[in-house]
Amino acid sequence: MRDEIRKIQQLMEAADYVTDAPVATSVHLATTLRKPLLIEGHAGVGKTEIAKVMSRMLATNLIRLQCYEGLDAAAALYEWNYQKQILHIKLHETSGRSASDEEREIFSENFLLRRPLLQAISQPDQAPVLLVDEVDRADEEFEAFMLEVFSDWQVTIPEIGTIKATHPPHVVLTSNRTRELSDALRRRCLYLWIDYPDFDKEVRIVQLKVPALNQTLAREVTRFMEALRRMRLAKVPGVAETLDWAHALAALHADHLDEALVSETIGAVLKDADDIKRLRAEVAKSGLGPMLATP
Amino acid sequence: MVRFAALLRRHGLPVTPEHVSDGVRALEQLDLADREEVRTGLRAVFASRPEDFATFDRAFDAFWRVHTDADRVAEALAPPTLPEHAPPGLERAGRETLALDAWQEGGEEDGGDEPVGVPAASELEALAARDFSTFSPDQLDEILRLTLKIARRLARRISRRRRPSARRGRIDLRRTLRANLTRGELIDLRYRRRKRKKVRLVLLCDVSGSMDLYSRFLLQFLFALQSAFSRVETFTFSVRLTRVTDYLRARSYREVLRRLEAVKDWSGGTKIGESLAEFNRGWPALVDRRTIVILLSDGWDTGDPELLAAELLRIKRRAGRVIWLNPLLGNPSYEPLTRGMAAALPLVDRFAAAHNLAALRDLAGALAL
Repeated sequence: MRDEIRKIQQLMEAADYVTDAPVATSVHLATTLRKPLLIEGHAGVGKTEIAKVMSRMLATNLIRLQCYEGLDAAAALYEWNYQKQILHIKLHETSGRSASDEEREIFSENFLLRRPLLQAISQPDQAPVLLVDEVDRADEEFEAFMLEVFSDWQVTIPEIGTIKATHPPHVVLTSNRTRELSDALRRRCLYLWIDYPDFDKEVRIVQLKVPALNQTLAREVTRFMEALRRMRLAKVPGVAETLDWAHALAALHADHLDEALVSETIGAVLKDADDIKRLRAEVAKSGLGPMLATP
Repeated sequence: MVRFAALLRRHGLPVTPEHVSDGVRALEQLDLADREEVRTGLRAVFASRPEDFATFDRAFDAFWRVHTDADRVAEALAPPTLPEHAPPGLERAGRETLALDAWQEGGEEDGGDEPVGVPAASELEALAARDFSTFSPDQLDEILRLTLKIARRLARRISRRRRPSARRGRIDLRRTLRANLTRGELIDLRYRRRKRKKVRLVLLCDVSGSMDLYSRFLLQFLFALQSAFSRVETFTFSVRLTRVTDYLRARSYREVLRRLEAVKDWSGGTKIGESLAEFNRGWPALVDRRTIVILLSDGWDTGDPELLAAELLRIKRRAGRVIWLNPLLGNPSYEPLTRGMAAALPLVDRFAAAHNLAALRDLAGALAL
């Protein structure tokens, strides 16, 4: 293994992120080839976390662009602060300045609201990490717009001029695959697929993130989660749910799982009424045994 | 690296020259003695979806073994076992296979007693009222063209209906300010209307046995309509559910037909409940308030009707509207008495036929929220 990759792995572990070789390799390549990293995987497997850890690792800012349906260029790039502009005009109404002076004044940087993409471009000191979260939720038009920005890292604001990035950001995109992303986007990115962690990795994650939980319970919780994921539920719980549950159990000072405890705390894990009903029926029928057995 | 890229391309991965140079640059960053590291590194560069991983791994294993074991390469390369990109159906589809043969039989049988003397308003109207299954194969081509024509016309109408009217909605500060710059006072207000989001469609089409024909027509029809929607997601099911959205990106309907042929699973019986459950598990985020879910099936279900009801309810809770299309409804004597149908009916917002052109045209009117 390459030293840099091992170092990244160590750095990520030091930043409380349990990782493996594929993740570390992808992060290494993304930072050295300076290509966007597209991360896909089920909900709650730690996709977003990678961007956060990267920013900590590189000791740089994390700028987050949360995508949603209808997100447009204005909300992602920049807007003028209209309220402030109007106020400014009102206040200086009687100063007798010419309209063109006035215009120059109110369309200056003081009145510019920098949205995430512009922020990412105009970092003075070093390249930030730009996290484009849940890019599958944005419209396809927005995807195209983003590709344009990514290709030359410059933005033209008619009133001010062209802003070119001095330090093009490290880009991390995450997607839950609610829709297929365009091939154009995929082509430009490095790709990383994160699956649910295996048993040992998940135990390590639990122990690292919830040290208050004793080891037996950490292993029990992880086994239980593995069994849940095999149950074909409507909403399959991810690692985030495992950790929520572990925190809940730790807060209750639990030291082992029993049926009553599972029944009381399962709301931290399953978020669908039918799923909970199914689990209850399953546990009532054959107890916790099968859920905690080694597969 | 160039040859490796060519191999990947031959196996259907969309590899560009940029990928190749990235691959070379990636190798400089990787420990070449560590096979797994090179594999994961190059995979990040070349394979851009999990479905491609298996192909990539096969190609990788075959290619990077060249110097040690040449025979294995030939062996690994010989059968291009790639279900998605080179489906066996493509090869045998000189003429449309099985299903079309079935159409032929049906067509000739009924073609004889075609109502020659029906005094229809126009030929088009007569065609529009005829059940798809009564056409002969060469007529089907013609009908399909007609379907597409109607669909395109409807698409224009739907999108025109959506244009926002002036003078309503919130004030658009940006344009207001611009318009009044030289006045010092905001006199001429400019308005902005929240951009109306288009409706999303999710299609679940039964492709078992007799339903196949109707599914094709519906798919074609809605596909031609798709510009009126923000997104059309399509699934086919019989015993299993298959997402075919990507297969439908083809330009011509012939190609689409061929591709559909390739994904079809021929095993008998229909398990609607199981298929819906699979849909709910696999693609929960596809359905929201702005989504119309269309299910096309005759309701002959060999699965559990309770499961069907439960899963349909799950969809209904999230969807803007649920439409069940049943071509049998075109037959006046039909009553929805199958257990599956009976379980589903109370949960459906609209229950309609889709057996002929007129029915499809009516359907288009119901596709707005």
